[in-house]
Amino acid sequence: MQIAPAAMAFDFLLAVLGFVVPLLLIARQTNGARRLAVTLIMAASVSGCLAATLGLWQRSAILVNLSGVTPFPFSLTVDSLSGFFLLLICAVATPVTMFAVSYFDLHYSEQRRNWIWGFFSLFLLSMIVVVTASTGFAFLAGWELMTIVSAGLILMEGDSPERRHNVFIYLLMMHAGAAAVAACFFLFLPFSHSLEFGAIRSASSLVPAGTRTAIFVLAFVGFGTKAGIIPLHLWLPRAHPIAPSPVSALMSGIMLKTAVYGFVRLAFDFLGGGPPWFGYVVLLAGGVSGFLGVLYAIAEHDLKRLLAYHSVENIGIIYLGLGTSLIFLAHHAPLWATLALTAALLHTFNHALFKSLLFLGAGAIANATHTVDLEELGGLQRRMPVTGTAFLIGCCSIVGLPLFNGFISEWLTFRSFLAGSVLTNTKAQIVLPLMVGVLALIGGLAAACFVKVFGVAFLGRPRSMEAEHAVEAPVLMRSGMALLAAACLLIGILPGLLLRPLVALAQVLIPGAGVPEETLSITRIIPWTAAIILGMCATAALCKRGKRMVRTWACGLPELTPRMQYTSTVFSKPIRFVFSSIYRPDRKVERLPADQPYFPASISYRSVRTTSYERALYRPFVEMIVSLAHQMRRLQTGNIQVYLLYIFLALVSLLTFLRFQR
Amino acid sequence: MKIAMNILQALILILGAPLVGGIIARIKARLQKRQGASIWRPYSGLVKLLRKEDLVPPTSSAVFRLAPILLFGTTASVAAFVPVLQPTALLASWGDFFLLVYLLALGRFFLSLGALDGGSSFGGMGASREALVSSLAEAPFLLGLVAVAILASRADIAGIVGWTLQQNVFNISAVHILAFISLSMVILAETGRMPVDNPATHLELTMIHEGMVLEYSGPSLALIEWASAIKLHAMLALLIALFAPWGMTPAGLGWGAAVALLLYGAKVAILMVLLGVVESAVAKLRMYLVPEFLGVASAVSALAVIFTMLAKR
Repeated sequence: MQIAPAAMAFDFLLAVLGFVVPLLLIARQTNGARRLAVTLIMAASVSGCLAATLGLWQRSAILVNLSGVTPFPFSLTVDSLSGFFLLLICAVATPVTMFAVSYFDLHYSEQRRNWIWGFFSLFLLSMIVVVTASTGFAFLAGWELMTIVSAGLILMEGDSPERRHNVFIYLLMMHAGAAAVAACFFLFLPFSHSLEFGAIRSASSLVPAGTRTAIFVLAFVGFGTKAGIIPLHLWLPRAHPIAPSPVSALMSGIMLKTAVYGFVRLAFDFLGGGPPWFGYVVLLAGGVSGFLGVLYAIAEHDLKRLLAYHSVENIGIIYLGLGTSLIFLAHHAPLWATLALTAALLHTFNHALFKSLLFLGAGAIANATHTVDLEELGGLQRRMPVTGTAFLIGCCSIVGLPLFNGFISEWLTFRSFLAGSVLTNTKAQIVLPLMVGVLALIGGLAAACFVKVFGVAFLGRPRSMEAEHAVEAPVLMRSGMALLAAACLLIGILPGLLLRPLVALAQVLIPGAGVPEETLSITRIIPWTAAIILGMCATAALCKRGKRMVRTWACGLPELTPRMQYTSTVFSKPIRFVFSSIYRPDRKVERLPADQPYFPASISYRSVRTTSYERALYRPFVEMIVSLAHQMRRLQTGNIQVYLLYIFLALVSLLTFLRFQR
Repeated sequence: MKIAMNILQALILILGAPLVGGIIARIKARLQKRQGASIWRPYSGLVKLLRKEDLVPPTSSAVFRLAPILLFGTTASVAAFVPVLQPTALLASWGDFFLLVYLLALGRFFLSLGALDGGSSFGGMGASREALVSSLAEAPFLLGLVAVAILASRADIAGIVGWTLQQNVFNISAVHILAFISLSMVILAETGRMPVDNPATHLELTMIHEGMVLEYSGPSLALIEWASAIKLHAMLALLIALFAPWGMTPAGLGWGAAVALLLYGAKVAILMVLLGVVESAVAKLRMYLVPEFLGVASAVSALAVIFTMLAKR
């Protein structure tokens, strides 16, 4: 009986996002219709949260079966894993929609706004279909729709050759990934005889080891492309920054997570783990993505590109947790596997919250100053206090500082690494504890990066006229960001709220495990720590007396100018210098005239950060494809007789194939 | 009774911190054939600063004034995690060293932001250098602690200290030696001592911490200086608790606690003399040699983690 409200809420969500809103926007292009559509999207997101919460807590499956309507089996099921991701999508979609109302109104013409809201609604729908699909066809349909609609949303922002090029790369890589994902579903077919998830799950024990390996590798590559694992991340820092900010928030916050969902579904739910090297591959990919992601982020001064690279980093941290869990599974330690999986899933949720918050913050900055170049910003905290505070909470969360949500999941990941020392396997015993160092380095560099971001953008003095005259964001934008910031703090201080259902979820995926002690101890310690910090801060605040405004000391000069402040590029210089062997920057200094080195009339300096491995990895691959295409062109003579011959040959070979198959 | 001891421990760490700074300064002065200031001077410095008013740049935001408060708040809460007289502390049986390290990171994060809010290049310079040092110091810090935790098979600080207490003094393993070396190096970097940072100069070529606090004055500066002192004291106490806790008593207030306090004083004194000697004997490293210094610390701590394999038999 309790299933009914959840199922109704879920049906409402699907109907609104899939039919009502797009049809309404097509049918009536008025302000009122649009406002109604937006209200409906919000109501749908809230009801989705409700459905997901009920589904996650009661572990009751909601089923929507459309197989009779569609040409292929198409059904959606909300089990506990789907429920968790549905909650993630709806919880982020609500504040982002709120923000987007103001943002789209300020940025787009009437005509375009209708389109963008229609796509927005379909984008949400496609992601919901992906995480709730219970047949392979439904999953792949949602997966494709998600790619195409998001590409459409990127093109909505504007049109230029460069943008088209980036969207082309995005679509290309997404389709390559989708091919791998499709292949890994089809590999199950000979054993399950159906693409329904239930059939696949029960048939997975029949799959021989070789096919399992193939499925795992294809899933890793296919979902890794979507998730942005290095070196498959190429599209991510190109596609995310050029989308409208609320869409970037959805892409980074939710769309990447659907890949995590797919990978967990396949590797844990269907395959139930595998040999240890599965885990090590995932662990390595996570470590490399985390480290290189944060290093590239530090070198950026375009705020949205920087945030996009941080998505690569955080996906890396999630994969570290997943890899650790797979290793524990392979070594028959279900309790620790549960801990690591819980850490990964919690980080997935946390990243969705703080990354969408940060992208919305970038949108608010762009709205106020018309730029997201850090070198043009500064002093925004005084001018936009609410945006600044919310953004600061986002920064603290992404860095993984205590009292903010990122810390909880990173802490759990740390503890699962530490737990590796109790295994009897020597390799795991050495590798896992050493990964603590890798994650600590990633965390340290992330802290450096966000000191830079917040310090340069929001503190000090404005570096441009636009920043000088920035005004606070409209109320809907502020409330969207405030909601996300409040969620970050809430999970950061009372992690038990989310940890309990998550542990239960991990126990469904990894049968036979108890509740890890760590998840309980973090729930107990964090509120106490918060109380003590608060008490100490209050004591310290008592010491403060009156203040007097005095200009910053200028070393005896008449006055400081904003240009004397540290810029984003200078701030990151020491770190770029230390890791220059990884960046391999390409520098050119030209002095004119060349024969007078000490009295140059002009000096031009250009520094380009090159990613050497991208060239090394992708160049041969791209060249191979291009040369293959050239070879294929020989078939295309343009002569109709030759084409008829092809058809004839194809027919004959098919008939021969059928003859000998019998 | 236990609660009273726990609070006493935290008070020792927080209120005794300026004294530790004063004694180290005195030891350094003596090593350099100077008379040196009184060991109580840091207290009078704090009192003087607390009586003054805050000077705030007109272009700065609320972050500038909040940063010292948050730095003090987080650093002082670290005192709740470090055992001094008894093998546990206020939060040491639930809280582990990951939380401790990240609490320090939280304070540092806000101090760096406060430095950037001043709007001068010195703040940025200090914050940028601090970002380099602290981002590289975190890995060896945690790895060194992980090595000790693996030996004790516990992650909570009270558990590790309790395990070490049960061991024979002469039964130290290579892991302990390696972890001690790497943690000592990290603590030099974390607390801004020689050879990573020189706490005694205001020369822009060398300064890290002093660059960050240059714009601060009055009570804000007092809170920052006190917080740095607490950090140094807590780190020394952590070294003692992890590597030489013998003498700590679980008995509560009484003669045992008095003996523990005396022993603690003696152990801190040894560390202070060592610190004074190191600071007087070595020159400050060039900025870009600091990563190598921390690289060595990382390698040593990684070795410590690997050697736990052998030590556990």
